[in-house]
Amino acid sequence: MKIQAQIAMVLNLDKCIGCHTCSVTCKNVWTTRKGMEYAWFNNVETKPGQGYPTDWENQEKWTGGWVLDKSRLRPRMGNKKGIMKNIFSNPYLPQIDDYYEPFTFNYSILHSSAKFTTPPTARPHSMITGLPMEKIEKGPNWEDNLGGAFEERSKEKNFNDIDKEIFSKFENAFMMYLPRLCEHCLNPSCVAACPSGAIYKRQDDGIVLIDQDRCRGWRQCVSACPYKKIYFNWKTKRSEKCTLCYPKIENGEPTICSETCVGRIRYIGVMLYDAERIQESASTENPVDLYQSHIDIFLDPNNPEIIAEAHKQGIPDNFIDAAQKSPVYKMAVEWKVAFPLHPEYRTLPMVWYTPPLSPIQEEVESGRLGFNGIIPDVDMLRIPVKYLANMFTAGDEKPVREALVKMLAMRAFMRGKTIENSEDERVLSGTGLTAEMVNEMYRYMAIADYEDRFVIPISHKEYAFDTFGDKAGCGFSDGEGCGSMESRLKNLFGGM
Amino acid sequence: MNIYINNLFFTYLPHIAMTLFWFGVITRIVKTSKSLQAESSQFLAKKGQRWGGNLFHYGILLVFIGHFTGLFTPEHFYHLFMTTETKRILAVTMGSVFGTAAVVGITILLVRRLKDQRIRINSSIADILLIVLLLFEMVLGLISVAISAGSSVENYAALGEWAQKVITFQPDAGAVIAGHSVIYKLHIITGLFIFMIFPYTKLMHMFVMPVAYFFRSGYQLVRRGFTKRPA
Repeated sequence: MKIQAQIAMVLNLDKCIGCHTCSVTCKNVWTTRKGMEYAWFNNVETKPGQGYPTDWENQEKWTGGWVLDKSRLRPRMGNKKGIMKNIFSNPYLPQIDDYYEPFTFNYSILHSSAKFTTPPTARPHSMITGLPMEKIEKGPNWEDNLGGAFEERSKEKNFNDIDKEIFSKFENAFMMYLPRLCEHCLNPSCVAACPSGAIYKRQDDGIVLIDQDRCRGWRQCVSACPYKKIYFNWKTKRSEKCTLCYPKIENGEPTICSETCVGRIRYIGVMLYDAERIQESASTENPVDLYQSHIDIFLDPNNPEIIAEAHKQGIPDNFIDAAQKSPVYKMAVEWKVAFPLHPEYRTLPMVWYTPPLSPIQEEVESGRLGFNGIIPDVDMLRIPVKYLANMFTAGDEKPVREALVKMLAMRAFMRGKTIENSEDERVLSGTGLTAEMVNEMYRYMAIADYEDRFVIPISHKEYAFDTFGDKAGCGFSDGEGCGSMESRLKNLFGGM
Repeated sequence: MNIYINNLFFTYLPHIAMTLFWFGVITRIVKTSKSLQAESSQFLAKKGQRWGGNLFHYGILLVFIGHFTGLFTPEHFYHLFMTTETKRILAVTMGSVFGTAAVVGITILLVRRLKDQRIRINSSIADILLIVLLLFEMVLGLISVAISAGSSVENYAALGEWAQKVITFQPDAGAVIAGHSVIYKLHIITGLFIFMIFPYTKLMHMFVMPVAYFFRSGYQLVRRGFTKRPA
């Protein structure tokens, strides 16, 4: 057993209101630079929809993630030879137009324009060429709140095995928000596909980073990541990705997207896992079993044997403490209300999602509401369970159904407790929950205090190296060394 | 050609060029190794990149291997396997096939770079000049293949003799090819010029060709940070 710790995240989609605060604060901190205008390390998309970049879930097209080749795991793009032969031209590379052409408006003309009979207008200009654009045809959230035609939006992959035509009717329409960021996978395919060895996973907290000093811009990682969360900076011609705000995480603070989430839907905590079983877990034959095999490699942080072994293997005390209080562990393992996004990609993602409840359909009013005992039947929810299952459990409805029932039961129980002042435990029968568990779930998922949502241990940089030498350094740079780009371009040896 | 000029270009210039080349390559790798990269523009414009990029790169790689082995294999060594005539046929066939592939590829890339607005606007003058220079050199190369095919075997063998005399510091190296066609000579001079500017261009990406990928054990890479090593 090789115990490692990972900073993991859960997003409670039941509470996401799609306000994009996470995306905007992330953008302001990380991607306002030239070449990255189109990149959103964190974006929120409306589902059903093709998303950003368009149709990112279609792995036949983009070849992200892993496949089992004669029961051996290899990147879907190909093995090492297959990846290297495409190094001069990557046939699976998304283009800027698959995201959108970044634009700005020439507002200055509103001030500087001469006197005309009609008021001046600020036209959109491309941030790539600087030329005026006739029409903006795409943006990072183009399908916001079901924008666009159903025919286009419903091309997405989560409608597999669903008779989707009935959802084209207005009465049957449903939607949900899906905030997405780098999954900081346990079995990252971007790392596997990087020929330069520039992408790596940090053993101590599991954050996946691109070493900008070693990235040579072979751009294989962009297509290897099934979540399309690696962005090619077209100016520096190197790849960049979400850093899980590691400077904040190391300091015991939540990421900027989590910190600023107004809906308080984000949870960050430590997960202990057995690194020796990653390969075995990701190689599980049937994709439907991948969710369970992923849970199976997590270790119980309260088990005395695990604690002793973790100590022996050098996991710092505060990481073990944090793992015991981890909201992620509670939601993913104890209550089983959180799920990985697309486990069938076999990357073992570490950003998990609580599926959203949705309004009970018109049957309520017509008196035909189906009840499963006392709480409403989850099949009456507006979002089809199969749709959620295609997103979170490779199509297996059972775990998603159980999670939704738990959340409905929690609501019914707490409603009785707070409004009718009676703790009716009958609503919990068959859900696997006890009154005590529900109270804790309510504390974490409904109240969601800051201290409960974020349990992040401070990193022990002092064990890593003598940080005295780092004083007065240039800190975070965009991978081009210290100083401005102009000053570096004056370098005799060119390059950026 | 004047003996003095001939010697200057074909006895001394090669040494000057290679000195500048290695000085530049070593200083650049030592001083600014972080700046070495592929400089791919595929993300902004895919059209033409697949055929152009592959034809050019695979073509030029094989042409390079051909030049290297062809010029520097000593006569008595390759005579163990083949006659000079066989070697010439081999060189002319491979050179024309791969050379044509590379020329077609780089022409596609040049057209793409000039015609696609996004790439054009985001290209430096150096980007465009480099392609033109390489294209010029490769066209000269293709013409010299045709000349080699039509001239005597001795004429062809002299090229290898010249190259070997150069790298062994023989003072009469230039004299060996003094009587050769001006196309060969232009090809050599342009080639040496490319070597001289090589360290200051994006051609340096050849030195970061990621062959180490094949030697990585497994696929994953993990870096250890602050976890204390087990006692």
